[in-house]
Amino acid sequence: MSFFLPVAHALVARKDLPVPVWLFAWGASIVLIVSFFALSVSWRAPRFEEDRWRPLGAGLSRALLGLPAQIVCGLVGVLLLGLAIYAGLRGTEAPDRNFALTFLYVTTWLGFPLFSVFLGDVFRPFNPWRSVGRVVGAGFTALAGQRPAHLRYPEALGRWPAALGLIAVVWLEVIYGASGGVAVGLAPHAAAVAALLYSGYTLAMMALFGAEQWCRTGEVFSVYFGMFGRLGCFGVEDGRLGVRRPFAAAAKWATVPGSAAVVIASIATTSFDGAQEGAFKGALESTFNHLTDAGFGLTSALRLTDTLFILLCFAGVGLVYLTGVWGMASVPGAPSFKKLRAGFAHSLIPIALAYLIAHYFSLFVFQEQAQFTYLLSDPLGTGTTDLFGTASSGIDFQLLNANAIWYVQVGALVIGHVIGLTLAHDRATAYWGDYRQAARSQYWMLAVMVAFTCFGLYLLSVANA
Amino acid sequence: MNSNTGRAVAGIAIIVVAVVLLIVLKNGGSDTSATTKGVTTIVIKNGKPVGGIAQLTYNRGEQVRFKVDSDVSDEVHMHGYDIMKDVKAGGSVSFDFPATIEGVFEAELEGRKEQILELTVNP
Repeated sequence: MSFFLPVAHALVARKDLPVPVWLFAWGASIVLIVSFFALSVSWRAPRFEEDRWRPLGAGLSRALLGLPAQIVCGLVGVLLLGLAIYAGLRGTEAPDRNFALTFLYVTTWLGFPLFSVFLGDVFRPFNPWRSVGRVVGAGFTALAGQRPAHLRYPEALGRWPAALGLIAVVWLEVIYGASGGVAVGLAPHAAAVAALLYSGYTLAMMALFGAEQWCRTGEVFSVYFGMFGRLGCFGVEDGRLGVRRPFAAAAKWATVPGSAAVVIASIATTSFDGAQEGAFKGALESTFNHLTDAGFGLTSALRLTDTLFILLCFAGVGLVYLTGVWGMASVPGAPSFKKLRAGFAHSLIPIALAYLIAHYFSLFVFQEQAQFTYLLSDPLGTGTTDLFGTASSGIDFQLLNANAIWYVQVGALVIGHVIGLTLAHDRATAYWGDYRQAARSQYWMLAVMVAFTCFGLYLLSVANA
Repeated sequence: MNSNTGRAVAGIAIIVVAVVLLIVLKNGGSDTSATTKGVTTIVIKNGKPVGGIAQLTYNRGEQVRFKVDSDVSDEVHMHGYDIMKDVKAGGSVSFDFPATIEGVFEAELEGRKEQILELTVNP
């Protein structure tokens, strides 16, 4: 017996049409032409190894980074997290009418990567856990007369907790939530409980290792959003706000162990979500049927199938990257495999961003209309509250037509590809003194990038088909 | 470029072009998908669509027409277009609206959270 696979999402009343064949062909052709052009450019000296940071006005720094601003931003972050948890626990069980799900999974999870690229690490001041951790730390210092003692963070662990946490966050929404056996997504109540558990875990880790240390390496949202913040030109150094060369800060991002795992996890989880209703549909269905035949219940078979495939995606994306690294290591004059593996991870950040935009751009535009109208006016979805008079508004699905969405999707992948190539090429010129060898090493990274971009285009061309 | 690297580049190019061609050829037929004509009837038995989820495809501007015959009482919700109509057990309800929004949409039996239709509107 074969079952219908319920893989519908909680929030989306609308899914994207598959990218048409002609646009797919154009996208892939442009990627190829750009890539060959990149090979022929003789780029002899690295340009992104120095970030050329220079401070902006001291008044601006004081206003945006001073203690009053820190307190206001921290309070806003704590209040919004509290509202989301409260709405999830007490509000309607309809995911699309409850503030919690859209706020956590669309506004925050998809919004911060986008805004961080342009504005820098904007999540940091709003991070509710960091704010609570700092207040507790300051209180302890005042009472005990000494700063709290922390354990030394194991350096080898690096950003691995954040990478695994990232997979868990996506797993909760697209696997645990979407596989309840019916076409509804993650229940707001489950999202709120997860947020509470995550808060407890995060505060405990901050108590052990210190708030700032945990935000640098372990706290999923800080690490993930901060990674995208490295692409842009705004940053803070020694308490001063400044501007730097775009992309240059990204070049220093992956010096912490496990960083490659974070960016690979991002590409892999987005790939899985994009592929489940297109490229992987047949494979998912047959695995699911095998598992139900073997005696698993419907829900556990579905969750097991999806979990298996999201882990396969992680392994697959990782393997493609490591193949590229292995290839580069064979070029004369190459540094060690380990150094190469960490040294080129940042070149995948633009690809991760491009995947995010390609797969979630339309969802973000449509769902944010809900966020700022009825979900804000009626956060619990009771139908009786109307705080701002917008509770009866709906989503205007005519805001974007299919063509606009297609061009954004393909455009994002092509631009991400170009930036990724540029960053990799730049790093190669820094590692290989001889620019000919540097260029040779980049055939490997070129193949990796072409693989990711064409796979991304392919996922779009068969999505929801 | 020396001859070795030239060969490597040519190799990559051939592989990628081959993959692109393969996908284009494989999908070639599905690009001009036929649109649905007439009125489709979706029969609901024991709260589930008979024959699985119905698939309807239209081009933008055409008229979407379908009928739901149900043996259970529920509300049929056409998502995206946000049209809701009640249906009684043993009764039927008709939908007739212009395809103005592009994308893929689902219609559900709202109370049961059971998807009965996937509506595709192409540009």
